[in-house]
Amino acid sequence: MTATLLDTAPAVDVDPKAVEQFLYHEARLQDEHRYDDWEALWAAEDILYWVPTREGADPTREVSYIYDNRSRLASRIRQLNTGVRHSQAPQSRLRRLISNIEISASDGGVAVESNFMLVESRRALMTIWAGRTAHLLQRSNGSFKIKRKVVTLVNCEEAIGNLAFLV
Amino acid sequence: MATAPVIPARIDYRHLVQDGRLHGSLYTDPAIFAQEMETIFHRGWSFVAHDSEIPNRGDFVVRRVGTQSLIALRGKDAEVSVFYNRCPHRGATLCQTPSGNRPRITCPYHAWTFALDGRLIGLPDEGAYPPDFSKADAGLTPVARMDSYGGFIFVNLVPNQLTLREHLGHATELIDALLGLSPTGRIQLTAGWMKHKMRSNWKMIVENQVDGYHAPMVHGSLIAANRTFATVRDRKPTSPTRVRDFGMGHTDIDHASDYRAAGDRLFRWTGGIEPERLPVYVKAMNDAYGPEDARRRLIEGPPHSMLFPNISLAEMNIMVIEPIGPDASIQYTTPVFLEGADDLNARTLRRCEGAMGPAGFLIADDAEIGELTQMGVANLEPEWIILSRGLGKEEVLPNGVKLAGLMDETSQRGFWSHYREVMAASQEIVH
Repeated sequence: MTATLLDTAPAVDVDPKAVEQFLYHEARLQDEHRYDDWEALWAAEDILYWVPTREGADPTREVSYIYDNRSRLASRIRQLNTGVRHSQAPQSRLRRLISNIEISASDGGVAVESNFMLVESRRALMTIWAGRTAHLLQRSNGSFKIKRKVVTLVNCEEAIGNLAFLV
Repeated sequence: MATAPVIPARIDYRHLVQDGRLHGSLYTDPAIFAQEMETIFHRGWSFVAHDSEIPNRGDFVVRRVGTQSLIALRGKDAEVSVFYNRCPHRGATLCQTPSGNRPRITCPYHAWTFALDGRLIGLPDEGAYPPDFSKADAGLTPVARMDSYGGFIFVNLVPNQLTLREHLGHATELIDALLGLSPTGRIQLTAGWMKHKMRSNWKMIVENQVDGYHAPMVHGSLIAANRTFATVRDRKPTSPTRVRDFGMGHTDIDHASDYRAAGDRLFRWTGGIEPERLPVYVKAMNDAYGPEDARRRLIEGPPHSMLFPNISLAEMNIMVIEPIGPDASIQYTTPVFLEGADDLNARTLRRCEGAMGPAGFLIADDAEIGELTQMGVANLEPEWIILSRGLGKEEVLPNGVKLAGLMDETSQRGFWSHYREVMAASQEIVH
């Protein structure tokens, strides 16, 4: 469960504004399909980008929509960068709002949870996506790198349309 | 739309489905869709669930077949039953969650309660019903026929003339080939399902599953970005891979013919991994089948097939197609776990996520092309879709199986010729 990250004490030594700004920055890179810039936000190794099909799923035994390690994430970005990934050619028009940010200390870095609502416009269709995101951030040169990002869609147990953009 | 009564129009399927071309209305006409639900999904055999999804007493899954919501559950005697998801009392939906475990089924409306074998075992204030009311007449309604092969459970809602074995025909060999990759002969579909909303007609998904022609174009971005998805990389016109039409609408892309031709390399079907990296699995296969036969199995790999009408043995994935309306479907995908092969299973799980589903490197792009095709065929001209690639050049084996080149549209024609027979016959019977 993503919520367990927040069971530790609130992070007193972290500037919440800096965390917020990082999340907003990441969101904008995703909304604007700045694939390489987004990839550069990730730590160099030992990362996880996970979109489960069920809240509370065990990813070693259950299938996920996305379960990227560093190499898989790089493939995802390379494929988008070809410009002929049909499910993102044309690209979706995206804007997302991030809210309800909670921050806590963690052995491995800074644990952040937030809610998002994302509006996708593609051809005649407008789709609303929403969910809870759990980030594990690592301090890096006055900013952060993403070690782990888990996106639990509110409708992850229902059928969903193409999720080829960066969520 | 799916629940509308069949429109009693007579549709000339022999005209709409021709050997080398198809009428565009087959993908768009609501009347045709309604007749397909009745004729193909209700009167024919459809896949509903796999044995391994409901291993314990009281386990159930809820599935849609045609327009009908069904509960497949394992009862006290370890037997599987499939019931309509409808309370016999006033019609409420009994199971809302897609899966779970229950000792008995209680209706949320008036708490009528049913045993796992479907018997009505309790209801509040039973004495208020007239004397001729009998609990024995008010149990859950099972589907007309249920049968299974290799753990794959199929149902037939309106009885037809065929047994499941007759319906499957040569497709049993495809199921056998998949099960034969397991050291115990058993597979486990226990990883749950990706559920992918497709904005296209269900038959487009069927056609695309066994289309050897589109990969270099639709999946060009993946081929450029990641070269480890071997079966995609090798899809060239010169490939020795055959497509096959088994009859009864069952078809496949026979990658094994390619793998055999390429020599004695194992595991080309799972990215060409070195056998030393799967020691548990390789040893279990050797122990189960002997080194020589195990080696053959590990060279040839799993089938890439489409079983009429709704299940694809998609290499190390199972895909199930659920029609929603003429222009909407849901595609369900789960990785195939082999009993006794934990090292391979971990790999299979991650490869499934890489390739399949709404974020998958392959299937998201197939979904996009399906949507574009659905939008395209809504245009009235040209009326016909061309499906004649390789027509008349097929090799016909003594057992009736047709072979053709990887990029020939023989596999789609195999689906459509059976579709035409089934749909045309329904017009003759019903009207």
